[in-house]
Amino acid sequence: MNSAHVLYHMVRADFLERVRRYSFLVTLAGALLIAYGVAAEKIWIVVGNGYRGVYNSAWIGVLMAVCCSTFLSLAGFYIVKNSVQRDVDTRVGQVLAATAMRKDFYAVAKTLSNFAVLACMVVILMLAAVVMQLMQAESHSFSLWHLWAPFIFLSMPTMLLTASLALLFEMLPGLRGGFGNVVYFFLWTAGIGLGAAGTDDPSGMQLLYRSSRETLQAIDPTSPQNFHFSLTIGGEQAVRTFVWEGIHWTGSVLLMRLLWISVAFLIALATSLFFHRFDPARSWRRKSPASGKTSNGTSVATTPVPSAVSASAIHLTPMPSRDAGSPFGRLVVSELKLMLKGLRWWWYTGAVGILIGELVSPTPIARSGFLVAAWIWPLLLWSQMGCREARHATTGLLYSSERSITRQFPAVWTAGFLVALLTGSGFALRLLLSSDLHGFAAWLAGAAFIPSLALALGVWSGSSRAFEALYTVWWYMGPAHQMPGLDFMGITPASSSPAGYAIAAGALLAISYWGRRSRMAYV
Amino acid sequence: MQLAMQNVSKRYGGGNWALRDFTLNLGPGVLGLLGPNGAGKTTLMSILATITRATEGNVLWNGVDVAVSPDQLRATLGYLPQDFGVYPNLNAMEFLQYLSAVKGLDAAASRRRIDELLNLVNLTDVRKRPLGGFSGGMKQRVGIAQALLNDPQLLIVDEPTAGLDPEERVRFRNLLSELSGERIVILSTHIVSDVEATATDIALISQGTLVAHASPEELLRQVEGKVWEWILPSADLNSARQRYLISNTARRSDGVHARVLADAPPASAAAVTPNLEDAYLYCLSQHRSAAATPVAAEVLA
Repeated sequence: MNSAHVLYHMVRADFLERVRRYSFLVTLAGALLIAYGVAAEKIWIVVGNGYRGVYNSAWIGVLMAVCCSTFLSLAGFYIVKNSVQRDVDTRVGQVLAATAMRKDFYAVAKTLSNFAVLACMVVILMLAAVVMQLMQAESHSFSLWHLWAPFIFLSMPTMLLTASLALLFEMLPGLRGGFGNVVYFFLWTAGIGLGAAGTDDPSGMQLLYRSSRETLQAIDPTSPQNFHFSLTIGGEQAVRTFVWEGIHWTGSVLLMRLLWISVAFLIALATSLFFHRFDPARSWRRKSPASGKTSNGTSVATTPVPSAVSASAIHLTPMPSRDAGSPFGRLVVSELKLMLKGLRWWWYTGAVGILIGELVSPTPIARSGFLVAAWIWPLLLWSQMGCREARHATTGLLYSSERSITRQFPAVWTAGFLVALLTGSGFALRLLLSSDLHGFAAWLAGAAFIPSLALALGVWSGSSRAFEALYTVWWYMGPAHQMPGLDFMGITPASSSPAGYAIAAGALLAISYWGRRSRMAYV
Repeated sequence: MQLAMQNVSKRYGGGNWALRDFTLNLGPGVLGLLGPNGAGKTTLMSILATITRATEGNVLWNGVDVAVSPDQLRATLGYLPQDFGVYPNLNAMEFLQYLSAVKGLDAAASRRRIDELLNLVNLTDVRKRPLGGFSGGMKQRVGIAQALLNDPQLLIVDEPTAGLDPEERVRFRNLLSELSGERIVILSTHIVSDVEATATDIALISQGTLVAHASPEELLRQVEGKVWEWILPSADLNSARQRYLISNTARRSDGVHARVLADAPPASAAAVTPNLEDAYLYCLSQHRSAAATPVAAEVLA
């Protein structure tokens, strides 16, 4: 069997496995929602002095391709960043490792299968773009080349780069988990910023920037002096239109796009250097020298294993009747212990440092600096909520326990709420001392909102990634940049909406309960 | 103490029936639930453990429908699922303490019981080691300990000896026998020797239906006079397999010693004492032929 045949089957199997997953459909729905946003004129690219392009094939194509590149390079990363882990979980990896497959071959195959998933979404959006132009009917000139070229030359290389980065992050031990998910978000933000700052960027936004600037210069000579470029959702609206004929796909432009494709393959090949070939010993050493736990969930016994059940006569203390029930507090403490267990000293040091900062720093810094930091610090604790049972396969043990949904489930939320209260308590104390009740209400609503969001996303997605990705974006746009409506911490009175977030917390909790309830045979 | 399954059926998505009209009444003792892979054992265990709901039929615990009052059963249920996980950062003691809190057990009593259980499953020396470092067999023992946390009246163990070495298996069987007393233990497995050593009753399940429910002695009686040892040349083994149900073979200097299950003996075969594996295979083959007959008849028609 030749290499191309093996590669085809590896990519195909991976692709089919993933496009049949719920998360693929959710992301696709998100991408189509963005396409709809473009069609319904909710999403704009505004250039120059309030210009937008006439909705011809070129403008629609580039607008959708840029939206697609920006959205899918973020959401898509979290969708595909599990291809190696799945091979570990399913033990297929060990089967592959026992074949003659080379490490670089595996890395390229995984990159291509990641790309296939993302490219599939791009293709669907390409078809949506055709429908969109027919719906808009602003320009009757229809050119499939102008409509689709931006997808092919802008979105596809971006997807390939996203695919290779997802693999790289999965292979690097420090970036494999939730921390890597957060790091990628900031990397993505930097990448978007690169395009907006006028540098050649992976998404190709800079090409649109340059091309539209040149066109506008001919139409409106005053425009380039204060030229600006923004991709807005429901924000600034264009008041004027101009006819834009698309990016000229010159040799140098295509070479630049080819460069990004090469970067993606170089990353894929570099990734193979970190590929442990499913060797439990190697991944174990990297992960946790003390525990002896391997990456595939199997174990390495580090001390002599005691023999099993003793043959002596059994004496077990009879358990008392449980009519009185066990205090809820004990279960909350147990959940809290479970949440905090395994954290290293530096995490506690950081949390205490932030707490002190909340208490002693000047109010503006405490508010927009330390409180904002306090509620991103436990991100990886909250992201386990609602999905820990599925991740560690303990659902059978928990769901067969008495009153699991009325005791254990609220205890999980309470533990998450307590983490928010504790980490943000320094600032809350200052709010109370200064009698800022509105601020305190916003703080409390925020503290309730975070675990509710974590629980809802954990229960419904069955994974920590959805919360890690969404919360980081939300935190960055809302509290960190005080975007009205998204500031769940109430960093400024103008951006805070405590009642809205209290209601949202309740609604998310109800959604979580419904999700958990639907997975149980009986309440 | 009584567990009754009345016409329990379970259909999964795609119209696959994992269980059909399963009816069984159980009292105290160890029930060995035997059946081939995919017979519906785990589905039945999940229904009994209130993890999944029966599509049709009822499960009654002491006369109360589990669908109506699942917590009545859960309060006294010990369940060891076939595939279960542990929290790798917790040690064995912490994990059991966590589950005792989830089960709502008395804190002081459960502390004592956890110590005893860890001793019982011989994990006292490693009770403070993170579970992530445990071998499969050690994790299985933690699973056994958690199933016994609440002193269950109904103990359901699904393939409990999977991953245990022969010594551990023998000890686990002893533990089950000692535990049985005044409780119902359901041991689901496809390892006949596990059942042979512990079960007071056996239920044979195949293709989602109950094939037989009897004591081991009754099952053995069914195959009395139907098990033969036949010595034949190696070259004839394949053709013999096509004609007879052969449960075991051993190569010796005088040829292959085949253990044949048949109503009439092959020429020169000698009768031997049946064991439970013979009874299991015989009952299954009878069930399969009975199930195949109407289909065959239909095809012929």
